[in-house]
Amino acid sequence: MRKPRYGLGAGAVAASIILAACQGGGAGNSTSGSSSTPSTSAGPSNSLKIGLVTDVGTLDDKNFNQFSWEGAKKGAADIGAPAPKSVVTTASADYAKNIKSFVDQKFDIIVTVGFALGNDTTKAAKANPGIKFIGVDQGVCVTEQGEPDPSFGCKGDGAKLLPNYQGLVFKEAQPGYLAGIVAGSISKSGHIAAIGGTKVVPAVANYMAGYANGAAKVNPNVKVELQYVSDQPDAKAFNDPAGGKAFAEQLLAKNKDVDVLFQVAGKTGNGVLQAACNANIHAIGVDVDQHLSTPESAKCIVTSAEKKLTKAVSDAIKRVSEKTDKGGTVPLDITTDSIGLAPFYDFQNLITPEIQTRIDDAMKGLKDGSVDPCKPMKCS
Amino acid sequence: MDFVLHLPVIGLLLQFVGYLVVVSVQNGNLIITLATPIGLGALCGFMNERSGVVNIGIEGMMLTAAFIAWYVAALAGQVLPAGTPGPLGITLPLLVGLAAALAAGVLVSALHAWLSITVRADQIISGTIINIVALGITGYLGLLISQNSPSSAGNFSSLSLPAGVDGIPVLGWLLNTVIEHGPITLSMLVGVVVLQVLLYRSRWGLRTRAVGEHPRAAETVGIDVIALRYRNVLLGGLLAGLAGAWFTIEYGNSFQGGMTNGRGFIALAALIFGRWTPVGAVGAALLFGVADALGTAIRQGPPTGDLGTFLTAVPPQLFSALPYIVTIVVLAGVVGRSVAPAADGQPYERESKAT
Repeated sequence: MRKPRYGLGAGAVAASIILAACQGGGAGNSTSGSSSTPSTSAGPSNSLKIGLVTDVGTLDDKNFNQFSWEGAKKGAADIGAPAPKSVVTTASADYAKNIKSFVDQKFDIIVTVGFALGNDTTKAAKANPGIKFIGVDQGVCVTEQGEPDPSFGCKGDGAKLLPNYQGLVFKEAQPGYLAGIVAGSISKSGHIAAIGGTKVVPAVANYMAGYANGAAKVNPNVKVELQYVSDQPDAKAFNDPAGGKAFAEQLLAKNKDVDVLFQVAGKTGNGVLQAACNANIHAIGVDVDQHLSTPESAKCIVTSAEKKLTKAVSDAIKRVSEKTDKGGTVPLDITTDSIGLAPFYDFQNLITPEIQTRIDDAMKGLKDGSVDPCKPMKCS
Repeated sequence: MDFVLHLPVIGLLLQFVGYLVVVSVQNGNLIITLATPIGLGALCGFMNERSGVVNIGIEGMMLTAAFIAWYVAALAGQVLPAGTPGPLGITLPLLVGLAAALAAGVLVSALHAWLSITVRADQIISGTIINIVALGITGYLGLLISQNSPSSAGNFSSLSLPAGVDGIPVLGWLLNTVIEHGPITLSMLVGVVVLQVLLYRSRWGLRTRAVGEHPRAAETVGIDVIALRYRNVLLGGLLAGLAGAWFTIEYGNSFQGGMTNGRGFIALAALIFGRWTPVGAVGAALLFGVADALGTAIRQGPPTGDLGTFLTAVPPQLFSALPYIVTIVVLAGVVGRSVAPAADGQPYERESKAT
């Protein structure tokens, strides 16, 4: 960790300040600190109270946290519930505390965003069977007693032990594979690259593996550079655009013929996109349609490997409202239209009919199971 | 000669030094670029601490300036004509953003100066407050604004030398490494030389050193300690403002919460490592840049042979930690001594008031 002790301390204190502000906001209808209450035009016809806890980062990350938040807002609006509230986590030590703040305020649905919150969400779900939990990017993995399983044996049946906990898991290898098809097809040099935040987050590693496999499918001789900025899911991996830009510049200086760059590193990756733009090569965004979310780099973003977070979260909330929700891991893939490629916008003419056919074939193959995006490179 | 490189320890060490030189030379331009926010932050710390005011709020000052630079430039871009960018990609909105960032740096510094000089509050606490408040407020405002954010006003570009210069041996490399930068990086390179000369060759420098070492003695010979401290802390704010603007209108082109990512604290380490001199501090910042580039180079493609085997076996965290380890070694007085100005962190009370 590059961040010295002062930074962590400051982060923790800031988190508690934000938290305090949020709890204040919960009592009245004021919006203070980091809690946001978007107004809904329709009057609440449903009394479910929805709270969302983000991963380390910000609600405006134009990425993961933000679009899960959009999903919570949309879900609340769709079922006619009051507008949701949010707590922004500033240090990973605060996950449990932030979840608890919603538990204490007797929220009905608590959405937690990110793989790293899985453990604390599992514990909270076990302790509070009356509250519905929705975990984004969290596979439900419990022991036979319904405790979080650090060894990932996953012996317990999540659906039975924790019926109140939906773990939404995207198959990132699929959109990664589609991005790889595009990258392998548009690369003139046959040398492409991807920069991930850290290998230890399975979502990141899966995107990267799918990317390499997709590119190899269309061009068996393709050279793919897969690089990770950091060894752990820290601020350097996901919250340092300047560091990401430098990392990408160094990669491009070393591999001068790389002409497509895929980013899987959150806000660090926004710097990667900028480096691609400066080098006049093509970039591919991640998680959300980055043509829209990072307009500064739109001029070089060909497409984005998308997880449809907003839809996934709002659907999960709807299931709770309709009482059709089931506990356990909810896999989200191309068959439920939960992943895909973002539109090509200005790059539409780059995508020849031949390339479009390849993409369509790959999507068909992923849907019927004849294409495995985790081969030959294994997913984690 | 070749057999030397195969000797167990010395050979490996020689290979490592060689590799380090190659990486530094290949990434010279990038290293200076990455050292800019750290170097400017360290110069801000220098201005404060040499006159006896501890400033650990550099991180917060940078973050505030980064936010203001981005937002004001974007707003200015909506009302002012951008026109054709001049040299270094300078446009009117960017200049307005830069001016606002400098003002923000000075303003936050004014708070620090007032708390630590006039109120004589604990200077560490004052800096800590600045860090916490800046992180919270810019994050919150960033969130509010991102709902319908004005489009970014872009960023400054690097000075481009005429084609062909890169081809000149040695000189071409030197020019590319030192000159091909944006205005903020260039101003750091100029600023460090100017400050170093002023510190040891000007009346201001002598007075600053006197006030930082022994304010009582300085006061007795007629130096206004309070005024000098105020002036230096505010000028330091300009440097922190520049450092912040680097993030959003030079190297990057948009703001994100917490994007300074601890570089303000690294700047403090650089200041200490550089023994509270401008050249030393920026030199230390460059060393941090080299360590960064080295870590990235090893990650992206380790060298082949014995050295590669060795480097990949070493945990990569060690390379990122290297500059801090060196800083601790220097602080501990093992390799030369690094001594803070004697009155660093001590509020000054005039004798007449002290009774």
